[in-house]
Amino acid sequence: MAVIRLGYVHVRVTDLAQARQHYQETLGMDAVHEEDGRVYLKSWDEDDHHSVVLEEGGVGLVKFGYKVTADGALDAIESKARSFGATCERMSKGDNVGVGDGLRVTLPSEHVLELYSDVDYLGTRVGKLNPDPWPRDLRGIGVPRINHALITTEDPALLERFFSDVLAFRPSERLVASHEDSDLVGSWMSCGDQPHDIAFVKGANGKLHHFAYEIDDWSALLRAGDVMSMDDVPIDFGPARHGITRGGTIYFFDPSGNRNEVFSGGYRTGPDFRPITWTMDQAARGINYTHREIDQEFLQVVT
Amino acid sequence: MLVVTVVPQDVQVRARAGESVVDALRRHGWRSPYRCRRGGCGACRARLLSGRIRYPLPVAESVLTPAEQAAGQCLPCRAVPVTDVVLDIGPHPLRAVLASTPSPDPRPQEGL
Ligand code: FES
Ligand SMILES: [Fe+2]
Repeated sequence: MAVIRLGYVHVRVTDLAQARQHYQETLGMDAVHEEDGRVYLKSWDEDDHHSVVLEEGGVGLVKFGYKVTADGALDAIESKARSFGATCERMSKGDNVGVGDGLRVTLPSEHVLELYSDVDYLGTRVGKLNPDPWPRDLRGIGVPRINHALITTEDPALLERFFSDVLAFRPSERLVASHEDSDLVGSWMSCGDQPHDIAFVKGANGKLHHFAYEIDDWSALLRAGDVMSMDDVPIDFGPARHGITRGGTIYFFDPSGNRNEVFSGGYRTGPDFRPITWTMDQAARGINYTHREIDQEFLQVVT
Repeated sequence: MLVVTVVPQDVQVRARAGESVVDALRRHGWRSPYRCRRGGCGACRARLLSGRIRYPLPVAESVLTPAEQAAGQCLPCRAVPVTDVVLDIGPHPLRAVLASTPSPDPRPQEGL
């Protein structure tokens, strides 16, 4: 059994028309479905029905979904989640448009996590037979796919234990208080060969720090920054390099104030990867390796 | 144009019609505390000491509750002055910046 990847992020937006403009025209996602004040969107290189849901009213995370293998993984995860003491319920086909039966878990951090293996297949925009490397009619940044999410939790050690015991994620990088004090402040965890599929830092329960799109490389990142400037997108910081994950980054805000990221590169991990440790006195380098300075608020500002 | 005064820094700028408090300050070279500039994070939270404001775009109740609004709190990144206003943005100093407004429309103008 295995978790494959972050499948979808479902966020609230204060104004659906403005949000659509951002996610469709600036980021370049395609709307695949719309009903009841919700828009379902997909990036061009994603196969499954959708990867982002925008819901009108408020701001912040409603829930997020991870896709799992179809070999009985859901049953195995359910029993592990129950013995961990987490609340779970079965979700039914149609609870999320395009997504089949699955499992809904309330994390120790109060976030709602959905797990599923059955989801409508729409295919990428270049297809699977002798494809071009990218579609000619991309809009804006033209993001190919989502990549990871960073959430906040009052108890990072507990959430790390949940993700490793119940979902078989492995920590790639761990941020601890200091050399003397191993208190966990944040963890970047992987379910495949990426440096992170989920990350969390200490903060309020139930909140979203950001979710990220993967883009090709450093020059794609710089071009993404050009599009953001053309569209007056507020930048939080970047382009810069992360010490943690070694990826390139720009953090920016959607029109409701939800933080997005475009992320490029990063190393590969695997089951034998030994976690990297960062201490809080070096957290600024860990987060923004280029500038070695971040505003205190960067970690506190969440939706 | 309406006069926006922020205290305790005691800075005064003029806001254009429809311009938010944060945008008016930025246009005059002042960076007040903000993060998302989109009403979502609460980092800019301030107290409206006098005058009236409006929110042309909806602001999430989880960021600014009706009770907080009634008690005089506001989000300067989304608040547009309706009259001259005085805001208390807290003791954080204003930072002098050169901030660009959105790219001008590139279409050539009639008669140029
Ligand atoms: S800066 Fe985020 S709410 Fe005003
Ligand atoms: Fe990230």
